[in-house]
Amino acid sequence: MSKKQKVLAIASPGGHWIQLNKICNPLEDRFAVVYVTPGAQYSSKNEGSRRVLNITDASATSKSKLIPLAFQLLWILIKERPTAIISTGAAPGAIAFLLAKFLPIKTIWVDSIANTAEISRSGRMVKNHADLVVTQWKSLSDGKNIVYHGSIL
Amino acid sequence: MIFVAVGTQFSFNRLIQYMDEWVITDGNTNKEKVIAQVSDGNYQAQNIETHSFMDGEQYNSHIREASVFVSHAGMGNIISARELQTPIIVINRQHKLGEHRNDHQLDGLKWMGKLDGVYTASTQEELFEHLNNIKQLKTANTNVVGSKQLTNFLADFISTGKR
Repeated sequence: MSKKQKVLAIASPGGHWIQLNKICNPLEDRFAVVYVTPGAQYSSKNEGSRRVLNITDASATSKSKLIPLAFQLLWILIKERPTAIISTGAAPGAIAFLLAKFLPIKTIWVDSIANTAEISRSGRMVKNHADLVVTQWKSLSDGKNIVYHGSIL
Repeated sequence: MIFVAVGTQFSFNRLIQYMDEWVITDGNTNKEKVIAQVSDGNYQAQNIETHSFMDGEQYNSHIREASVFVSHAGMGNIISARELQTPIIVINRQHKLGEHRNDHQLDGLKWMGKLDGVYTASTQEELFEHLNNIKQLKTANTNVVGSKQLTNFLADFISTGKR
């Protein structure tokens, strides 16, 4: 195929976003990666040619913003038509996964390295909907539904 | 210079107060200056420079230039400290003090403390002890963050749909 397949990489700001970049930046050799995050203004100006789309900042504690966020994400999914979505968490990724369930898009959840004792709350929410759930802790892998293939640290 | 950062989500007045107090103690043998990113914290620091937020460039250049980076126990800052080769001390937010939604940062200290270049503190005493021994603090053994194994696995899954 001459054109690279598109991958949408979604995360909330802070640690989730930093981790997402560490996981997805190396994928740019093989895929056209489009990043999606609230507060894209806080992300580094050194992104170069990276495409970073801004979305509403919402979390499980700001429920009223989840609906506009869902519409934004749906619009992005329809417009960008990615082959796959990768998310490290939290709410924006989980919502995108639920929407992608009705679209021909593979969904890959990479649970944050901060979750050492159990999969994150958003991870548990998407566990049965995602095409792939990856943990960064061997002890959390069940070898079947939750897999381990190394961690970023 | 010592750089302090509490993240963008919540304030962390207790940490800012600790630093404001430490900087004028005899333990600060190098007479280090402290610059802190305090989010929307309302503690009025007397002895250190505070900013609510800063942009990515400024933030990273402060981490790079600092002799030590003092942070809430957030994994983003641990990654940045490793990449920019600055030792980091992390202190956990406490749920019972209203500093976070839960106590996951306390759990975090356990695994974070096993990483090279990362020092943990759960009390003021532990924090001051690290700061008083600032010359002993080491940077991470590598500035590489990421996993080829993980990246290749994900790339193959995206292309083929196979695990």
